[in-house]
Amino acid sequence: MAEIELRNVRKQWGAVVGVNDVNLTITDEEFLVLLGPSGCGKTTTMRMIAGLEDPSAGDVVIDGEVVNEVDARDRDVAMVFQSYALYPNMTIYENIRFPLRMRDVPKARHAELVQRAAEMVELGDYLHRKPGALSGGQRQRAALARAIVRQPHVFLMDEPLSNLDAKLRTAMRVQLKHLQRQLKITTVYVTHDQVEAMTLADRIVIMDGGEIQQIGTPDEIYTDPANTFVAGFIGSPPMNLIGGRLEGGSFTAPGIRVDGLGENAGARNAILGVRPEDCHVVGAPAHFNAKIFAIEPMGDQTVVSLSTDGHLVEVRAARDYRAPLDSMAHISFDLDRLYLFDETSGERLR
Amino acid sequence: MTQTAFKAGGAAVVAASPPAGRRVRRSAFQRKLFPYLLVAPAVCYLLMITLYPGVYAIYQSFFFVRFNEWIPAGFDNYVELFQHDEFWGALWNTFVIGGIALTLECVIALALAYYAYRDPLIRGWRIVFLLPMLFMPSAVAFIWKLAFADGRVISDLLMRVGLITENIDFLGVVWNARLTLIVADVWQWTPFLFIIFVAALQAQDKEIEEAARLDGASWSAIFWNISLPLMKPVIAVAVILRGIDITTMFANVFIMTQGTPGGTTETISFFIYRMGFRTFNFGYASAASAVMLILTLIIAQLLLKRFFRSGRA
Ligand SMILES: Nc1ncnc2c1ncn2[C@@H]1O[C@H](COP(=O)(O)OP(=O)(O)OP(=O)(O)O)[C@@H](O)[C@H]1O
Ligand SMILES: [Mg+2]
Repeated sequence: MAEIELRNVRKQWGAVVGVNDVNLTITDEEFLVLLGPSGCGKTTTMRMIAGLEDPSAGDVVIDGEVVNEVDARDRDVAMVFQSYALYPNMTIYENIRFPLRMRDVPKARHAELVQRAAEMVELGDYLHRKPGALSGGQRQRAALARAIVRQPHVFLMDEPLSNLDAKLRTAMRVQLKHLQRQLKITTVYVTHDQVEAMTLADRIVIMDGGEIQQIGTPDEIYTDPANTFVAGFIGSPPMNLIGGRLEGGSFTAPGIRVDGLGENAGARNAILGVRPEDCHVVGAPAHFNAKIFAIEPMGDQTVVSLSTDGHLVEVRAARDYRAPLDSMAHISFDLDRLYLFDETSGERLR
Repeated sequence: MTQTAFKAGGAAVVAASPPAGRRVRRSAFQRKLFPYLLVAPAVCYLLMITLYPGVYAIYQSFFFVRFNEWIPAGFDNYVELFQHDEFWGALWNTFVIGGIALTLECVIALALAYYAYRDPLIRGWRIVFLLPMLFMPSAVAFIWKLAFADGRVISDLLMRVGLITENIDFLGVVWNARLTLIVADVWQWTPFLFIIFVAALQAQDKEIEEAARLDGASWSAIFWNISLPLMKPVIAVAVILRGIDITTMFANVFIMTQGTPGGTTETISFFIYRMGFRTFNFGYASAASAVMLILTLIIAQLLLKRFFRSGRA
């Protein structure tokens, strides 16, 4: 129903650059997740797609048509605002019904549609209340219901589940994914939550400092990070990044020596990336030997922090792994799951 | 509030105590009294300039006031007042003239505010719109009187434009005279409401408007469904302030019409003035004032209650 394209889109306010030169094509029916740290320009990108913010440069294209000059109202997108933006003077029922009224949906269907949207977000009991009398999570669900009550061209959702408890969030996530698959509406979804990003997305866009760092399927982002930012952002705990020296196919750093990393002849500084789950605690000295700094049992696994040269490396161990603090641990890496990054640019070498 | 006042007072006492750091202990009674002492001067002042004349007027309304003596009258002044056609006439005039003027002011101010509040120029320069309020009311009244007087500016202008063929007697015909009072009031006070309404609109959350836009609402739909309902409390306060002010409309009447023709522009204030200072019937005038005071309080209270309840969740 809608393909969205951002061409060299940029947004700045005076000297403040919110979004810098973003190129992105969102294919029809795709579920695209924008992921990145606070202030990286996710909301701004979304607002430009919605037409609430004029790009300082570049074009926003929907279905092959440049829509820079098209009013927000005529783009037919439904948005969940990060701040909910519910109408305080109306009951929740009226809030959810508002888009139906404004878009001339036949009156006879209103009650049914509102009811259905409200039930999807488990808000059926609160329809007669005003937003001021709801909790943060309930307001958020009301905002979500208001967006999904009709069938727009595009869904834009700015952290729609951020204020819900873990159980509700999981339930809503499943609902949303199902709804999107069923309605086949192009969706752009902003979140801080990696799990949400991984489970919902067809593709993930990682942003930082107003720029796109990587676009890819959840799998690609996880197994094939383009640079240290993406590598360090994704995964929980995230990938360990260890600075050291690369020479003749060997990487060395205090406590670490890994051989057989290709024939790379020239010596250079590099960063070794290794995910906690690709590390294995072994009995005898191996790739990496260091003192145990802390042990955090998580239930299904144990996260062991090792201290080396002033910073910590996190390693995933079996759930019953226990060892005294400050004792030596020996770690071996999965050699085919090691990443190397350039020290200065952070770009992937291997 | 009393708590803070007490704390602040306590701190001051500690700071002023001798270097040894001996704390001054005060009795519970003193501690309770302290905050009242702090506000006492302001309260005394207010009591003197508002409450005293008010109470005095109410007291006076139970007497026939002669120059040399006050004769107790019981409720006679009130009884007479309620049988007096001119009193009811003045009440009606006040209601008609004030009501129409206030309605016009609100509607015009709201409309202007809604079209103007997004304009950066108006955001920056809204203070300019206060100018009409800065002129002395009596001067404004004189200007309007000259403009509307028989054969003067307004008639002349209308004739030249070709809208009318002969002079309009603005001040001599009932509704024309009322109209001149209304126009004068609207000219002077619409900006006041305009500024309040612009401020209220600018204070509203922009994202709510954006959300409504994305939901497909036109600007007018946003105004009727969202902006206006959210402005209700502000409008109520503005209407009450302006309404109280308008019921005491005096300068314009005094200067422009003196209640003519035939008392049809005589407002309550002018009626009270006439009873008090033309016929020197002070007790009677006081009774009329007391009635007005009570009426105004009741209406204001009703309005406040209604709008503030419906404005809440
Ligand atoms: N109106 C504005 N004027 C100036 N700077 C702005 C404005 N709006 C946003 N910014 C800046 O642009 C950058 C991107 O903001 P944006 O709201 O898009 O971040 P975000 O990725 O949504 O963050 P979060 O996850 O915290 O919501 C921020 O650095 C912010 O300070
Ligand atoms: Mg945001």
